[in-house]
Amino acid sequence: MFSISDLAAWFADPVNWDGRYGLWFLLLEHVAITLAALLIATIVALPLGLAIGHTGRGEFLVIGLGSISRAVPTMGLLFALVLLWGVQLRDVSLLVALAAIAIPPLLAGTFAGVTTIPWGIRDSAKAQGMTGFQRVRYVEFPLATSSMIGGMRIAFIQVVSTVVLAPLVGLGGLGFGIVQGLALRNYSQVVASSLVIIVITIVGSQLLGWLQRRTDDRL
Amino acid sequence: MDWFFANASFVAGLALTHLSIVIVPIVLGSILAIVGARLVRARWVPGVTAVLSAVYAIPSLALFVALPALIGTPFVGPTNVVIALTVYAVASMFFSARDAFSQVPSSTKTTATALGMSRFQLFVHVELPMAIPGLISGLRVVSATTVSMAAIGAVVGVRNLGYLFLDGFQRRIPEEIVTGLVAVFVIAIAFDGGLWLLGRALTPWRARGGERV
Amino acid sequence: MKLSRITALAVSITALVGLAGCATSEAPPTDPSIETIVIGSQAYYSNEIIAETYAQILEDSGYPVERKFSLGQRDVYIPALEAGEIDLIPEYTGNLLQFFDPAATETAADEVYTALGLALPEGLTAFTMSSATDQDSYNVTKEFADANSLVSIEDLAKVTGLTLGGAPELAERPYGPSGLLSVYGVTVEFQATGETTVDSLVAGIVDMANVYSADPRIEQLGLVTLSDPRGLFLASNVVPVASGVVSDYVAYLIDKVSAAMTAEDLVAMNVRSVDEKLSASVIAREWLLSKGLVK
Repeated sequence: MFSISDLAAWFADPVNWDGRYGLWFLLLEHVAITLAALLIATIVALPLGLAIGHTGRGEFLVIGLGSISRAVPTMGLLFALVLLWGVQLRDVSLLVALAAIAIPPLLAGTFAGVTTIPWGIRDSAKAQGMTGFQRVRYVEFPLATSSMIGGMRIAFIQVVSTVVLAPLVGLGGLGFGIVQGLALRNYSQVVASSLVIIVITIVGSQLLGWLQRRTDDRL
Repeated sequence: MDWFFANASFVAGLALTHLSIVIVPIVLGSILAIVGARLVRARWVPGVTAVLSAVYAIPSLALFVALPALIGTPFVGPTNVVIALTVYAVASMFFSARDAFSQVPSSTKTTATALGMSRFQLFVHVELPMAIPGLISGLRVVSATTVSMAAIGAVVGVRNLGYLFLDGFQRRIPEEIVTGLVAVFVIAIAFDGGLWLLGRALTPWRARGGERV
Repeated sequence: MKLSRITALAVSITALVGLAGCATSEAPPTDPSIETIVIGSQAYYSNEIIAETYAQILEDSGYPVERKFSLGQRDVYIPALEAGEIDLIPEYTGNLLQFFDPAATETAADEVYTALGLALPEGLTAFTMSSATDQDSYNVTKEFADANSLVSIEDLAKVTGLTLGGAPELAERPYGPSGLLSVYGVTVEFQATGETTVDSLVAGIVDMANVYSADPRIEQLGLVTLSDPRGLFLASNVVPVASGVVSDYVAYLIDKVSAAMTAEDLVAMNVRSVDEKLSASVIAREWLLSKGLVK
C-alpha cells in the first residue's frame, strides 16, 4: 500500500514539484496562508492584550476566549462562514476561521507578558512621569515581547496544521496533496505532503523558540 | 430551528457517538502522558520532546487514514480516529504534565523523602496533589481540543457531529452546520466545566485562597 | 462463486419479470437463514438515500439491518467491503470501474457494467444495475453557454482561457484536463474547488465545472450540462455491490429497488433532500411506499 521507496520515488519525480498544484507552489501557499492568518490575529490580539494587561480590566476575556476558541471546530466554522459570506469570499472565511484559533494564544501570551512584569518596574516608569502610552510603548511592550512570541509559537503550530482544511472549500496549500492523495489512493503523496507540513511546523516553531529566548534577556 | 427539531434524535445519536469517541483519548491519553512525564528520565527528555512535537504536527486528516495501512486497524469504524486522538492527547498533555511537575518545589520533595516516603508514595501523596492545578489546566486544553478535532473524523467516514458540517454544507442547510457547532461547543464546555470542578474538589486547600483560572 | 451469483441474479430477474407481469404467479425465493445485513453508504446525501431504500426494504422483510453510513470515499469503504466489514453498498458503475481499472476505456452503460463485473476483485459482486444514473458531467452557466453558443463539450474547443472547477482528484482523472485535451482538443486550466464547485461556477470563479448529473442544483440554477458525443465520461448507473455470499432473497429484494428507481426518481429524491431538508430515511420511506415496495 505504501513504502519508503515509493515515497522516495515520489519526491524524486519533478512532476510532483512543479506547476499550480506542485509541491513548491502548495508549500508557498501553505506558508502564505499561515502567515496571513497570524498577521490578522496579531493585529487583533496585540493591542487588545496590551490594553487588557495595561489596564488590568477584561482579564475574563483572555481566559474565556481561550476556552471557547478551542471548543469551536474549525471545519464547522469554515463551512458556516463560506455559506454565510459566499464562495467569492472563501479566502476571507478561511483566514477568519484560522485567525479565530490564533487569537487566543496570542492574546494570552501578550496579556501574560505585561502582567508578569514586576510591579517595581511598572511603578518606576510611572514615577518617572511617563504617560500611559509611553509606558505601554517603551516599557510594557518591549518586556512582553518574549511572552508574546511564546503565544505566537502556539498559534503557529495550530494554524499550520489546520490550513490542511483549505481544499475542502476550494483553496490550496499542502492539504491539497492530502485530500487529492486520499481520493486517488496515492498514499505516497499523502505522506509526502504531511512530512512537508511537519517540517514547516518544526522549523517555524524552532525559529520562534529561538526568537523567544533572544528576547527573553531584555528583562 | 425547524431542522433541529425534526432531527433532534438523530443529532442526539451523533452527539453520543461523538462522546464515545473522545472519552478514551481524553482519559487514556492523559493518564499515559502524566505517567510518562513522571517516568521519562531527564536525559531522554530532549528526544521525547522532539518526537512528540513532530507527532503533534502530523495533520489529523492524514493520520486518521494512514493508521489502517500502518498498524492494520479496521478501515471502517472509529478505531483509527480514537487512536489518532489519543496520540495527539499524549503529545499535548506530556508538556503540560512536565510543567506541572516541575512547579513542585524541590524542597518539598526533599522533605518528603527525608520523612521516609518511597518514590511511589512521593508521587501519589506529594507530587500529584501539588501538580493538580497545572495538570487540570493541561487537561482542559486536551479535552476541548480533542472534542473539536474529533469532528474532522467525519471526513474519513466516522459519523459523529462533524457529519453535520459536511452534510449541511453539501445540502446547503445552515441550521445543520450551526447545530453541529453548538453541539460540539456544549460537549467541550461541559468537559471544561467538569474538569474545573474536579480541580476544585481535588485541591480544597486552594479554594480558600480565592483561586481563579 | 461469481458464476453462481449470476445464476441467482438470472433467477431473481426472471422472478421479477414474472412478478411484474402477474403479481402472485411466481413465489419469490425464500431465505432460510436471516442474518444481519450491514449496509454502508458514501458520505454523499444522495447515496445515503439509496442506501436507506436498501435498508428499509430489507427491514420490511424482517431482516435486521445495521447502517454504517457516510463512510467517506472509496479508499475508505472499498477495503472495508472487501474485508467483509460491510455487506452491501450503493455504487456507481463507471466510477467504480475506474477505481479498480483506471485505464478502462468503456463508456456505454452496458459495456461499463460488463467490464465492472470482470474488474471487481474476488469476493465482491455487482447486482443488476439500475437505470438511475449519477455520473460526472461538465456544466456551464446559461449565460456562458449562450455567450459562446455551447451545447456539447466539442463546442469548447473554440473557447480560449477556460477554467475547469472540480474536486482535487479531477486533476488526475482520465476525464479531467488530460482527457478533455486528447478527446476533444479542449485546453483548460484546472482549479480545485472542493465542496464549493457549483457555487464557484455560479460565482464565475470557474467557467465550467464537474457536477454529478443527479445534483438538483443543475436544474435549480439553470446550469447547462454539455453533451458528451465522444464518450469522455463513463456511464455511471446506480449499482448495489455486495461482499461475500448474500442470500438470493436479499438479492431479489435489492433488485426490486434497482428496477423501480429511475433517473428522474433519483433527482427528485435529491431535490427533496436539499429543498425540503428531509432526512434520508423519510425520503426513502416515501419513495418505497410510492412504488409499492413496502407496506
